[in-house]
Amino acid sequence: MYRRHVVATEMTAIETSGLTKEYGDLTAVDDLDLTVDDGEVFGFLGPNGAGKSTTINMLLDFARPTAGSATVLGYDAQTEADEISPRVGVLPEGFDIYPRLSGRRHIEFASKTKAAGDDPDEILDRVGLSAEDAQRSAGDYSKGMRQRLATGMALVGDPDLLIMDEPSSGLDPHGIREMQELVRSEAERGTTVFFSSHILEHVEAVCDRIGVLNEGELVAVDTIEGLRDEIGGGATMTLALSSPAAELRAVAADVRGLTDVTASGRTLECTITDPSAKAGVVTALADTGATIEDLRIEEVSLESLFTALTNGSGSETGTDARSGTGDGAALETEVPR
Amino acid sequence: MSSHVSTVARKEFDDAGRSKLLWSLIGLLVGLVVIGYVAIWYTVDDVTAAEVLSFLGTPLQVILPVAALIAGYMAVVGERRSGSIKLLLGLPPNRTDVLFGKLLGRTAVVGLAVALAFLVSLVLGAVFFGSVPFVDWLGFAAISLLFGITFVGLAVGVSAAVSTRGKSMAIVVGLYMVFVALWELLTAGPYHLLYDEGPPVEAETWYLVLDQFNPIFAYTNLANQVVEGSIFPFQFQYGLQSMEAYGMTPAERYPGDAPFYLQEWFGVVVLLFWLAVPVAIGYYRFERTDL
Repeated sequence: MYRRHVVATEMTAIETSGLTKEYGDLTAVDDLDLTVDDGEVFGFLGPNGAGKSTTINMLLDFARPTAGSATVLGYDAQTEADEISPRVGVLPEGFDIYPRLSGRRHIEFASKTKAAGDDPDEILDRVGLSAEDAQRSAGDYSKGMRQRLATGMALVGDPDLLIMDEPSSGLDPHGIREMQELVRSEAERGTTVFFSSHILEHVEAVCDRIGVLNEGELVAVDTIEGLRDEIGGGATMTLALSSPAAELRAVAADVRGLTDVTASGRTLECTITDPSAKAGVVTALADTGATIEDLRIEEVSLESLFTALTNGSGSETGTDARSGTGDGAALETEVPR
Repeated sequence: MSSHVSTVARKEFDDAGRSKLLWSLIGLLVGLVVIGYVAIWYTVDDVTAAEVLSFLGTPLQVILPVAALIAGYMAVVGERRSGSIKLLLGLPPNRTDVLFGKLLGRTAVVGLAVALAFLVSLVLGAVFFGSVPFVDWLGFAAISLLFGITFVGLAVGVSAAVSTRGKSMAIVVGLYMVFVALWELLTAGPYHLLYDEGPPVEAETWYLVLDQFNPIFAYTNLANQVVEGSIFPFQFQYGLQSMEAYGMTPAERYPGDAPFYLQEWFGVVVLLFWLAVPVAIGYYRFERTDL
């Protein structure tokens, strides 16, 4: 029922320029320039405390920037906030429901404010709340049900843009899959989806592009494919030798296509950027007469990229031991700023 | 925008209407009216319903502010602390809609309480004392409603101005204590220091102006204009001013014709002052704060 007003920035769902938020000495968001195109699913990734929620709060006029500005659907987030809210569906972080009101009453309230003609039952069904649940006071709901209810409120009125802050929190794996389904189906309806998470795999599965935020700064923006290309043939190769590795470190380091070699005991760990360097290392070592007793190769995962980008502070991302410490150093040099 | 105010107000009314605490207070108010009427009917002969009406002034001036403050002090800050305000402001209503919607919704709850208490008094007055003093009753009800709304505004204003529940409660309780327990110390005390004597009946004009700014005095002064008999303000008394002066209106204490700001109707201005100023401060601070 709302027509998006036609402006020069028509094709931009969200645009921030120099967006900054300082709390005293602490800079929560630092000079953020971010563009989210109309119709895309954008994952806003970063460890807890990176400034994701602060950014979203500024987009929604919950918090005011110290410097810079933001537009949402072409409207200024501060001065034209009243134009934005009817067109946007919001699932905030750290929200609560009204414990004394029923689930259904929540949806009806959202419908009323958006002057939307949605059928509450259909919305409730879409987010997986049964008719019996809808009649109950929302105060009795579990965290996951509250999340579903709030998602339902965000979907009311078929928004042009869905802003979801940590939508997967409180959901079990099944709920997370449903949430991802929902994001996909919203995207198919032409809705732009902007959602934040500290868990890469939740973002990876549904996003066209992701932006990685760390300590208030945007450290990477790319498509999932682009980020994979970034890693390229990156891998860590670990060689178990029969003699002390330190003597052979220089031999391996001379091989082209690797960025780092560390020796400890009889183990040599090489950070590979060019796939052909693997064979190169093996050949070079064999030429010196060294005996290679074992060899392991680990591909660099997107997760390790994320870990590297966020300086390992994203400990909740399920970072596993597969990715060595060296690959981080290798990737940091290639990360677009 | 105005439609958002009423939508938020309706939600507030639904929500507050499910609060057991509020219903207990409303029940207490109505219960006291019933008990009072029955007791007067049982013990006092020869009274009219109009005279009995003034009896209502005592429970109302105590319970109404308390109920209104309880109904309002968490209005905005409670949602800020729980986080439901993010859900609310993520929808089309903006901060202005939220503040005034809450004010309206909670006013409606308190209004309902006042209406119930007065309906019961009207019926019991007719049953026990055989008359319906309709004009007195309506005037008294209107003044009581304004009195209740004043305290809702005060509480909602405070709730919008602060960032924690504790601060809101401290300010609201503190103000109530000032009105009930500390007012004489804060007004007659300085008078004593300035003039070496407590305020006499015909006190300095500035004192009469200041003293009447207690919303409870404003309420009893106004109510005494419409009901027969007299309602005394519920106050801690420290004996700082002359005994005669207690319970006299500023207009009665002023020598000669009182200026407009000391006349009884000025109590309406006083009540509106305590409604509007906290709401204005709360609005100003709430609009500018980060949630």
